[in-house]
Amino acid sequence: MTTEQESVAVAQSENEAFYGATLTMDSSPHIHHSATTTKVMADVLIALTPAYVWSIFVFGFSAFLMPLLGVVSAVLFEYVTQKILKKPITVGDLSAAVTGLLIGFNLPANDSYFLPVVGAAFAIIVVKQLFGGIGRNFVNPALAARVFLFLSWPSKMTNYPAPFAREFGDVVASATPRGGAAVSLLDLFLGKCGGSIGEISALLLLVGAAYLLIRRVITWHIPAAYIGTVALVTFLFPHTGGFFNGQYMLTELLTGGLMLGALFMATDYVTSPITPRGRLIFGAGCGLLTVFFRYFGSYPEGVSFAILVMNCLVHYIDRVTRPRVFGGGKRA
Amino acid sequence: MKSTFKGGVHVTEYKNTRAAAIETMPAPQFVTIPLSQHIGAPAAPVVAKGDYVAYAQVIGRVENGLGCPVHASVSGTVKEIKTIENPVGRSVQAVVIENDGLYTLSSEVKPFPKPLAETSAEEIVNLIREAGISGMGGATFPTYAKLQSAIGKADTLLINCAECEPFITANHRVMLERPQEIIGGTEILMHALGLTCATIAVEDNKPDAIARLREHTTPQIRIAELKTKYPQGDERQIIYALTGRELAGGKLPADVGCVIFNAETTAAVWHAFYHGMPLCKRVVTVDGDCIARPTNVLVHIGTSYRDLFRYCGGLVKEPDRIINGGPMMGFTQWNIDAPITKGASAILVFSKDFAAKGESRQVPACIRCGRCVAHCPMHLMPQMLVQLSMQRRYEDMKEFNVMSCVECGTCSYGCPGSMPIVEYIRVAKAAIRAAAMKGGEKK
Repeated sequence: MTTEQESVAVAQSENEAFYGATLTMDSSPHIHHSATTTKVMADVLIALTPAYVWSIFVFGFSAFLMPLLGVVSAVLFEYVTQKILKKPITVGDLSAAVTGLLIGFNLPANDSYFLPVVGAAFAIIVVKQLFGGIGRNFVNPALAARVFLFLSWPSKMTNYPAPFAREFGDVVASATPRGGAAVSLLDLFLGKCGGSIGEISALLLLVGAAYLLIRRVITWHIPAAYIGTVALVTFLFPHTGGFFNGQYMLTELLTGGLMLGALFMATDYVTSPITPRGRLIFGAGCGLLTVFFRYFGSYPEGVSFAILVMNCLVHYIDRVTRPRVFGGGKRA
Repeated sequence: MKSTFKGGVHVTEYKNTRAAAIETMPAPQFVTIPLSQHIGAPAAPVVAKGDYVAYAQVIGRVENGLGCPVHASVSGTVKEIKTIENPVGRSVQAVVIENDGLYTLSSEVKPFPKPLAETSAEEIVNLIREAGISGMGGATFPTYAKLQSAIGKADTLLINCAECEPFITANHRVMLERPQEIIGGTEILMHALGLTCATIAVEDNKPDAIARLREHTTPQIRIAELKTKYPQGDERQIIYALTGRELAGGKLPADVGCVIFNAETTAAVWHAFYHGMPLCKRVVTVDGDCIARPTNVLVHIGTSYRDLFRYCGGLVKEPDRIINGGPMMGFTQWNIDAPITKGASAILVFSKDFAAKGESRQVPACIRCGRCVAHCPMHLMPQMLVQLSMQRRYEDMKEFNVMSCVECGTCSYGCPGSMPIVEYIRVAKAAIRAAAMKGGEKK
């Protein structure tokens, strides 16, 4: 045999060595898209980064530390709870990190460093893990934590530092735009104003949401329905009286965490509907309730309550908005 | 404008073998030919151990019921008639023939004696039945029965050349290398149906095949381009894309005036009419990361996977699974000595690394992202079905149209939570069917 023939013969016998392998019996499909929960959550973290960086610029170190504490404690609480409940550890899916970051985003940058830790404990242990972990909680954990903290420490939760105060070495509490501070619409849009850490820059939140839309992490339905409803109602019936007030409408859209809520909280997969029509109904409901709570509520809080109420209706919305089955004459 | 449907997903195509011309593999020493290769009644053997059989001679016949004969794919001696498992795990009888290597053609094989214009629809139906042709796209429905039931009912004839499953290029190569057979077969089917036109549907990821078919087509046969999207090759989605008619779950294309045949099935009709040749060989795409030399092979029915792999240079990696069909809907096989049947468009061999790709070893958990709902070509709510299936609320699943699921795998493919959605649905469908049968007995 020549060398070439030999090598062919060797290859042949090597190739046949695998013929006796034990074969897996599995259900199709046998290939999968590369999307994973981790990648989805990483995209959300990326989308929130511009707003995070901006708030550090505006409020200084505590705007850096409070969300970070939220993330670290949320991941830690998830890990510990899963250990104690003897469940598989899933902190690697980054969903706890997203919850922690959003908790931080919902806090004022006022050095009350226990707030994100307590909030994360409530969100992860009570709202998420005790209801069965990822995908099983029926309200948004970060929002539930915000309301929990808001009701428990109302003064700390409404103690907002003034924007850029640290540049002058002087931390002073100040009114937010919703609390009556006079800020131009442009400054509100850009985020040169007071407020919770993550909510101030509508522009950067929109940039983040655009990223999520392009990456197809979220669909347009909920943000469009939510923001559109608030815009329509506040334009037609401003609370200040009269009709058709564009200035009032824009102020309502750019304050009170509406952008953060509509773009990042209401679009939480687990606590929003899965059908496109359901998402439109959900978004419109969030919008109507937000305006309702703002106009008639006694708390300076509309967005969180609105989304939490709508969260509770998700299962029902899913059922009544099921798509018409292919080939079925009427809506099934 | 390119035709398409609502839903579906762009899957990675992996059409590695699109440039691999069809190679004719000599039949191995032994072929094992199952006597049941299609939906319907199994054939009974008409030969016995020790008999000499000619190439293309009938070795099994269906006396009663839905079915067509089975032919010898080589000439030689019947070694035994034994029971084996078919690709989906049912026990079937099979005839093992020792190949004498001569391919002595049966005297029954001769072209149809009349020109097409003088042939009746009934004669064409009989001819297709006698040629043992059943659907070669994977669903394996006897072709004569499909044609017969459509005569007088169908106003639209469609030829399915979409080939939307990843990896498979068998139809693509047939279109490129034997376009006149597909066109000619279409004319025969048109004649039987009494139609003056037909449409051949091809996904637009095969522009060379579209061009080739257009070179050979007649004014009556339109070559339609479909947008490349899985599962475009599902007959429901082809019918919708080209006619706008929606075929409900459990209904047949004839119910909406359509009849649809696979590309290679159509070519087989051409062979049967013009050469009298029954279905003894088919084109199989052999691919997957374990295959040394992925290619398209014209294989004698009854060739074992083992012999096929040997022809393709063997396996270069330890296989995790052998798949009969495409990666989206194909069935895993446990036996490397199982034979190629009329419905096997591809044999894929994946290693553990490849099969696990994308699944990412995470704990399966639904995050309610809604991708499955957005992509379902039947417009179901797979997420809701999984929830109910987990709770074994199978009866409630009927309300969510679980029986309309075609198990195309689009939902599981795109699930970021790695949920085995199709598996949950299959379990429920099986339970519902079992309950219905039990209920039927009581009555």
